[in-house]
Amino acid sequence: MSILHVVFKVGGTEYAMPADEVLQMESYGGATPVPGAARGVVGIVQVRGRVVPVLDLRARFGLEPIAATLNSRLVVGQDGARSVALLVDSAREVLKLDPEQIEPPPPMMADDSQGFVRAVARMGERLVMLIDFKRVIGEERLHGE
Amino acid sequence: MANSGAKTPASKHGVRELVESIAVSIEETGASSRGLARSQRDVSEAVTELQREVEASAGGLREMASSVQTVRKDAELLAQSVDATAATLEETARSVKGVASNAEDLSAAVEELQASSVETSASLVDMAARGEASSSSIAEVGATIEEMSKGIGRLAADSQVVGERVGSVSASVVSIGKSFGEVASNAAELAASVEETSQMIEEMARSVRGVADHAKALESATRDNASTVTEVAASVEEVAATSEKNAAVIEANASAIEELSRSSQSIASSVEQVNSSAQASERASMQLAGTTKRIGDLSDGVKSASDRVSVSAREGGAVVAKSIAGIGGIRTAILESSVVMKEMGKRAEEIGDIVQTINLIADRTNLLSLNASIEAARAGEHGRGFAVVADEIRALSDRAASASAEIAKIVRGLQTTAREAVTSSAEGVKAADEGATLATHADGALRAILSGIDEVGGSVREMSGAAAEQVAAVQVVTQSAAKVSEQARTISRAVTEQAQASQSLVKGAAEMRQMAKQTTQAAGEQARALRGMVQSNHQLTTTAEQVARAAQEQATAATQLAKAAVQMRASTQQINGAIGEQSRNMAAIGANAQEVASLTQRTIAGLTEQAKGAAEVAKAMDDIRKQASHTARAVSEQAKAGKQSEAAIRQVAQLAVQVTRATAEQTKAAQSLVKAGDDVRRIARQTARAVAEQAEALAALAAAANRQNTSLVNVARSTVQQTAATEEVAQTVEDMKSRVREIVGVSGNGVKGLLPGARNGSAATKAADRRRTKRD
Repeated sequence: MSILHVVFKVGGTEYAMPADEVLQMESYGGATPVPGAARGVVGIVQVRGRVVPVLDLRARFGLEPIAATLNSRLVVGQDGARSVALLVDSAREVLKLDPEQIEPPPPMMADDSQGFVRAVARMGERLVMLIDFKRVIGEERLHGE
Repeated sequence: MANSGAKTPASKHGVRELVESIAVSIEETGASSRGLARSQRDVSEAVTELQREVEASAGGLREMASSVQTVRKDAELLAQSVDATAATLEETARSVKGVASNAEDLSAAVEELQASSVETSASLVDMAARGEASSSSIAEVGATIEEMSKGIGRLAADSQVVGERVGSVSASVVSIGKSFGEVASNAAELAASVEETSQMIEEMARSVRGVADHAKALESATRDNASTVTEVAASVEEVAATSEKNAAVIEANASAIEELSRSSQSIASSVEQVNSSAQASERASMQLAGTTKRIGDLSDGVKSASDRVSVSAREGGAVVAKSIAGIGGIRTAILESSVVMKEMGKRAEEIGDIVQTINLIADRTNLLSLNASIEAARAGEHGRGFAVVADEIRALSDRAASASAEIAKIVRGLQTTAREAVTSSAEGVKAADEGATLATHADGALRAILSGIDEVGGSVREMSGAAAEQVAAVQVVTQSAAKVSEQARTISRAVTEQAQASQSLVKGAAEMRQMAKQTTQAAGEQARALRGMVQSNHQLTTTAEQVARAAQEQATAATQLAKAAVQMRASTQQINGAIGEQSRNMAAIGANAQEVASLTQRTIAGLTEQAKGAAEVAKAMDDIRKQASHTARAVSEQAKAGKQSEAAIRQVAQLAVQVTRATAEQTKAAQSLVKAGDDVRRIARQTARAVAEQAEALAALAAAANRQNTSLVNVARSTVQQTAATEEVAQTVEDMKSRVREIVGVSGNGVKGLLPGARNGSAATKAADRRRTKRD
């Protein structure tokens, strides 16, 4: 049973998360900054009438920040009642991934990635990291939630 | 199962258990029916929500459709403007081709100009060489003329000397003439005295005859006669003296004639000298005429060469003007193409903006399709068709995005090319300006050449005029030299005749001298005889007969003497005539000499004038030489200018080649621009098509959404019906439950204690709740 995944790019690497964890995708035209926000949180935006914090995945993944472009996207994810918008470099694709395409990450990588990468999917030559949304947004509640 | 429990008392306890279990299961069934009803209501609610969401997504789709419509309009606009851009590009390409052909024209014209300039330069060099040659020949001519002038000066000096000599000759001739006159008068005197003598002799002869006749009678009168004889002797003595005087005069005459002869010989030699120097002067003037004619020919050659140079310089000027016009044409064409390029750049920017808009729309479409995919996945089986549509929309939007990215790339390339074209056209304008400046310089140089040629023509004309004047002067000189020569020859002839006449005069004088000597001798003898006669006068008396005889002899002798006197008279007359003739000749000689002198004076004056003229000619030749050297220098400067203009033209040619190359590159760039424009047009068309397809797909999507909505309504309706059925089931179960209660009541109260339904029921409810939660 193949599962639809939303694919996005951060710093040249392709990541994916299941479509049913995604509430909505939005273009990014900047966020309203929040004073004293946690590291990686660039501000808050409105999505479908809800206020959602924006987490910059570049900052979260320890990459250099870049200016937002036309390709910048917000992937609004949902974990139970929590909704967090992930700011990514681009997101233009959804993919159906079969279970046999999905493998656990190599041990060294699993150690290094703080558990952000749940699995690695192979799409021919392409390698797509399946993120653990819960781990990525962290346990503590973010401003704006 | 309840019935069997009631009929068998033995198993009453088991039946009760069974009934209890039935009651439990009925209770469970009721609970699950209620749960089902609840869950069906939940489903109904969920379906309603789903319906709402589907409606929302249909609204989103409509929005999308309208935005796609906008995209389509924009794409059509883009296609139109791309068409316009492509047309503009084609126009640009055509104008660039026009520029290229112009540049080729220019190149050809410049080559022509170069060729004619090379020709001009070559002819200038030729002219310079000719000018140098003419200068050197003019210098030669000048030297010749100077030499000639010197020769004429010498001739003049010689002529002066000759004139002096001729003057002295003339003077001596005049003095000779005078002495001749004296001689003539002396001769006339002599003739008179000879006549007298002759008459006396005749008289004497007559008297001697009378004496002889009267001898016999005289015999008697001898004594008387003695005195007469003495008288005769005295007169004879006188005759002898006269005769001696006569001889002396004749001697003097002869020596004068000899002197005359000598001086006429010296005149002849002088005249010979005059003649030879006149001939030399004639030869020199002939030479002068030849060299002057050569100067004229040379100046004619220079004139025709300068005319040729003038014509080719004028041609060069025309070609330069043509090339200036061509360069101006190139400049305007380049400026026009620059303007077109700028316009093209602006259009390309507009296209860039439109492409940006398309990109944005494609981005939004992609986002919408992603969201649609996510929603479709959430809808599960019902959302499958929707997911396919969303995928198609995404694919279309990606295609639109990639097409617009390609367009953007092409537009960027177009802008770069347009900027480059503008830059290169500015360079082209600069090059054309430089070419125009250089062509103007070339024109100025050609004008300078023309004015230089005019100057050359002027100096050549002056030279020609001077040469013509010289020719005329030399002709005058030649003529006067010929006249001098002729006159000298005439003089020479006359002098020769004079010399001959002098010679015959000298001969006549010698004969006269001889005769005079003879006469003197005869007179001496006579005197001696008379003296003897006087001596023998004493014997006369004695020898009268002897005297008579002697008288007779004397008479005979007297007759002979008379005859001799007649002869002498004739000779004297001859001498007289000769002397008269000589005198006349001398007068003629004098006149001739005078004429010669005056002619010589005139010749000297002419020669002086000639010398003056020759000096002037020499001066003029010096001027000509200076002018020729000026001309040579000007011609060499001209040659240098020609070389410079040639170099300038070569530079122009190089520039023209560069311009041609630049325009060829421009043409190539414009062609690639045209091709790029075609590509842009094609891509715009594809975009338009894709957008149309997108619109169609969206319409299909909307239809699918509608269908989905309908099916959802159906689902809702069936769910409601289902709910009603379930509620009926619940009712039936409730009835069943009451009936079981009745059965239980009939079966006995003992069972009552065995009905822990509340506990079991709450457990069942809990289980049902668990199941529901699980399903949720």
